[in-house]
Amino acid sequence: MKKHDKNRNVAIIGIGQTTLSSHKEDQNQVEMVNEAVKNALADANMTLDDIDCIVHGNMELFEMQFQPDMWHALDCGSYGKEEFRITTGGTVGATLVCASDSLVASGQYDTVLCLGFEKLQEGNTTGGITNMADPLWFRNLQTGALTSSTANEMIKEFGKERVLRAAMKYRIMIDKHAMLNERAHRRLGLEYDQLENLMETSPQLVGDLRLIHMCSQSDGACAMVLTNEDRVKKGTAKPPVWIRDHETSHRGENMSNLYGAQKPKSTHRDCAEKLFMRNGITNPLEYFDVFEMYDPSAFWGLDWLREFLLLKDDEVLKLMEANEFDLDGKLPVNPSGGVIASNPIGATAMLRPAEAALQIRGDAGGHQIKKEVRHALASGFGGTLWTVMLMLEKELNW
Amino acid sequence: MATKRVAICAVAQHKNEPDLWYKRFQNMLLDVLEDLQGQTGFKYGENGVGIIVSASDDFFDARTISNNGVTDVIGGQYLAEEKMAQEGLNAIGYANAIILSGHKDLVLIMGHCKESQGESRNMITNCGFDPFYGRATGLDYLNAAGLQAQAYMRKSGLTDDQLAEIVVRSRQWAARNPYANAQEVVPAGKVKASPMLCDPIRQLHAYPVSDGAVGLLLASEERAREFTDNPVWITGFANCMDAFFFGDRDLTSNFALKKATANACRRAGIQDLKKAADVAEVMDCYAYQQPMWMEGLGFCGDGEGGRFIAEGGPGKYRVNLSGGTLAGNPMIISGLYRAAEATLQLQGGAGDRQVPDAKCAVAHSTNGPAGQFHSVLILEA
Amino acid sequence: MAEFFGTTVADIFNTMPKRFKPEASKGVDVVIGYDCGGEGGGKWKLTVKDQAARIETVEGDLGPCTATIIASDAETFIGVTLQKIGAIDALSQGKMKVIGDTRMLMTLLPQIFVQYTVPAKKTEVTARGILSAIGERFRPDKAAGVTLKYGYDLTGEGGGQFTITIANGTCTLKEGLDADLAVKMTMEAATYVGMMTGTIDGAAAFTSGKVRIDGDMMAAAATGKYFDKYVDPNAEEAEELLSLKKITSINQRFATGPVMGKWFAGLREKKLLASVCPVCRRTLILPQEICQFCHVRTKEYVELGPEGYVTNFDLVYFASPDPLSGEVRDTPYACAWIMLEGATPEDAFAFEIKKEDLPKLKIGSRVRPTWAEKPTGSFRDILYFEIID
Repeated sequence: MKKHDKNRNVAIIGIGQTTLSSHKEDQNQVEMVNEAVKNALADANMTLDDIDCIVHGNMELFEMQFQPDMWHALDCGSYGKEEFRITTGGTVGATLVCASDSLVASGQYDTVLCLGFEKLQEGNTTGGITNMADPLWFRNLQTGALTSSTANEMIKEFGKERVLRAAMKYRIMIDKHAMLNERAHRRLGLEYDQLENLMETSPQLVGDLRLIHMCSQSDGACAMVLTNEDRVKKGTAKPPVWIRDHETSHRGENMSNLYGAQKPKSTHRDCAEKLFMRNGITNPLEYFDVFEMYDPSAFWGLDWLREFLLLKDDEVLKLMEANEFDLDGKLPVNPSGGVIASNPIGATAMLRPAEAALQIRGDAGGHQIKKEVRHALASGFGGTLWTVMLMLEKELNW
Repeated sequence: MATKRVAICAVAQHKNEPDLWYKRFQNMLLDVLEDLQGQTGFKYGENGVGIIVSASDDFFDARTISNNGVTDVIGGQYLAEEKMAQEGLNAIGYANAIILSGHKDLVLIMGHCKESQGESRNMITNCGFDPFYGRATGLDYLNAAGLQAQAYMRKSGLTDDQLAEIVVRSRQWAARNPYANAQEVVPAGKVKASPMLCDPIRQLHAYPVSDGAVGLLLASEERAREFTDNPVWITGFANCMDAFFFGDRDLTSNFALKKATANACRRAGIQDLKKAADVAEVMDCYAYQQPMWMEGLGFCGDGEGGRFIAEGGPGKYRVNLSGGTLAGNPMIISGLYRAAEATLQLQGGAGDRQVPDAKCAVAHSTNGPAGQFHSVLILEA
Repeated sequence: MAEFFGTTVADIFNTMPKRFKPEASKGVDVVIGYDCGGEGGGKWKLTVKDQAARIETVEGDLGPCTATIIASDAETFIGVTLQKIGAIDALSQGKMKVIGDTRMLMTLLPQIFVQYTVPAKKTEVTARGILSAIGERFRPDKAAGVTLKYGYDLTGEGGGQFTITIANGTCTLKEGLDADLAVKMTMEAATYVGMMTGTIDGAAAFTSGKVRIDGDMMAAAATGKYFDKYVDPNAEEAEELLSLKKITSINQRFATGPVMGKWFAGLREKKLLASVCPVCRRTLILPQEICQFCHVRTKEYVELGPEGYVTNFDLVYFASPDPLSGEVRDTPYACAWIMLEGATPEDAFAFEIKKEDLPKLKIGSRVRPTWAEKPTGSFRDILYFEIID
């Protein structure tokens, strides 16, 4: 087995989030960013003096702020320091963690703070996403990230009733998780006995994709402090969470090849295969204790679980039907409430490894999984179905 | 074991043009990529390029996630592709770290920008200011530079005649650079007669609107020679951020550039950059910036930019033999063009501009209003 | 209990423990008796000792006190407390008496107690109350030219049915639901009140099924802008937070380049051109500069279609603004993925389906394009694809 050969090991030692809300009108961008940075530093029991480099990211056109890291210099702590701004659309938050891992592992930077944020309320999100499409043609056809194509495909494969029930069950499960997370944005108090009712009454957005299935638009920020093994050995305020490995799989913008009569391999499966093979993981469902997944809608959540966990046939539906993704299930998925509950896009993909790391630390509060969490998986989604995955570990076990 | 050194194996540049109306940026990148593949024969995937670092900007491309539009042409299918959303030179700093970390051993960098596509660069850079106050005052990167130029000229004694001299020299060198945009040689009188854009910055003191694309292939020390006989080593990279609000800054202090230079030199093990460097490429969007940034890089004393020009400093230290940004690159990938020229000089591939036996080069870039952010890359043959 | 100046004597004493400032009472050791005559009056005793204050009602004799304050009636006592009646006036008129050190009381009491203020009145907010005053919040300037009739079906306690009609710059409310409503919103009356007073998030209530909207969703969303925001009379006055509204727009001129240029030129001749990958031979439509899977430049072109079948589609009900024009798209509309004749199985072509054909659209539907009369080489050269089976 090819071992991932890092120059030095890297751990997450500080995690800071803001509350996530549909509109944080009580804060402007820099104040919101500052809240996350302060929280992360406090969590690490560090000050800015301990930080060598800031890694900053979001999507410029959501807030219409050109190179926002300039304006944020004082509030994100980059003043007088080294700084990178790296962006990859919706995956940006996860990419920032991967990038910070590389920066620290390189030996050039000892301790790095990464920061992802978005104030979606300051722009038009669906319009902003649609502006991703090429201006010559597809921009005329796209409706942001709203699509029922995955629902259509799953229905074709497994039958309408079963898929719609499983998707709504997934949605209600996610809400039950979000109810336990006081930071989550949308906490609706849904009950399983509402399942039939919601399947009928929740407004249709696109085909079988209903409003209730779709993620929210949120304001919020997330920051994390990463440092190297030597620094960890000197003692940390909170238990370190090790970044074992990460992988990214992007694809071209052209969507035509997703909807032909013959399907290409998904980036989710491609990314998972590469990551698991490199780390000798043959059964991800058994290996991981929690999965924080970027699930922009209930259908995508279900479909992507199948891809990420390399499941076959209807295994994913069976697991869903048997409550195996619940907090006390075989592989708890999104104890935080995931993306359907809270989605400040530039921070969303960082919240996944952040929440996964909190689970490993045992610090997740109300939504902490009861059994011990040693191996955590986190994923990001963005662009035209891009995928980033991170593997987090309680122990240095490689 | 992870590598100890990272090489730039090859560079490819698209010629800078004022208005490439007949090409999308995808077409430009593809031309650059094929050039680079021709030079190195690199492949993607297993044992090939494992990650692509692109450089572009959502505002200039008028696309949310500007890298999404180029993922396919630069080879990002089923690969990691990440966008440096700062000025492009930082893509080299980041790629350097990726290889040093051991995560990947081959990185492709692809930067693009078509400034001609948007109605106005100033409208874009106006959006770089805070929406409440800065934007309303009408600030953009041009008039921010105007403020800095006023202050710096007073401090350094730099004159309008000297600014003209800087532009004249830039054009003379650009005429020898097949990739430069503004290659027309201009007399000093024409520079001094060009209209005032933002006092004291005249039209010919400002970099022209440019479309361009640059590609570089970086490899670990162990693999570099698979792709080139002339690897150029990255020995030091650093950047630094100054404060945003002008009231918090001394616009003439070169605070960020000095700090970035010190860190880059420390990593490269260089005591005195002006002694070590055979070639310097600085990102001079405006003529006054060339002496000011050279001052920040330590090639002359504090406030001595005027004297630096008077004593022929740019010639002596071989500054911007490419013509520099003054001869026209897109702002957000200007540093990649600086690094490309520096690499060519160290590889002996700079044609009519070649400095004999160049061993060490410094490439510089800046970003943000009035040089808020600076990056410094030190390369050695 | 008799009320003067909007409050009662008992209220003043009941709030005393809350208003007490222990840190300011260091070393104070007093017992103060209060005797207020008339309706709403009574006797109270305040003990301040060891930085604690105790207030008690007293029947009969007040017992030993450091000082005693006697008021002839409740109005005087409340008026003096609220500084509506001058204390000196009341004392000199004999409506108030102090036994003990007057000066001590006048300096000590303000020092160790926060000044009493009349609590804000709680007004009962009902759905009916909010709706009946809706005309006062109406903004004719925002609703100019708008004709809209919408209804509320409010269930549960305090509910009812209401129709609001906006027409000719006026707004009228009547009970009952008209038959020709543009949109009807059904919810519990308490949910409506919560949404209006801001304790319930409207979007969340809608998403979770607490609010049901029948009819034109956009009309429902638009109703808010024709009215000033409802002000909860019980809400504490919050600091006003301003937000800056701005539309940023920078004109663009996009190059089409050689490949997309060929596509648009093809449209002018009513041709759908695909580029062909020289390695895997897939047909790429829209034509692409490269095949992203084989990573080779494409050079060859073939014409596909015009007919084909639908492999997948999005039937969109959500009205989103068109990012090119800013106009809200007319819903429902469908973007379908179409396998064109002559295409290899990997790549489908996306386009809109004729509005009238939407009810029969399904996966597998056969379709063909309807062209504009005079194609110019633009997106609108194809009007739509129509269903032909």
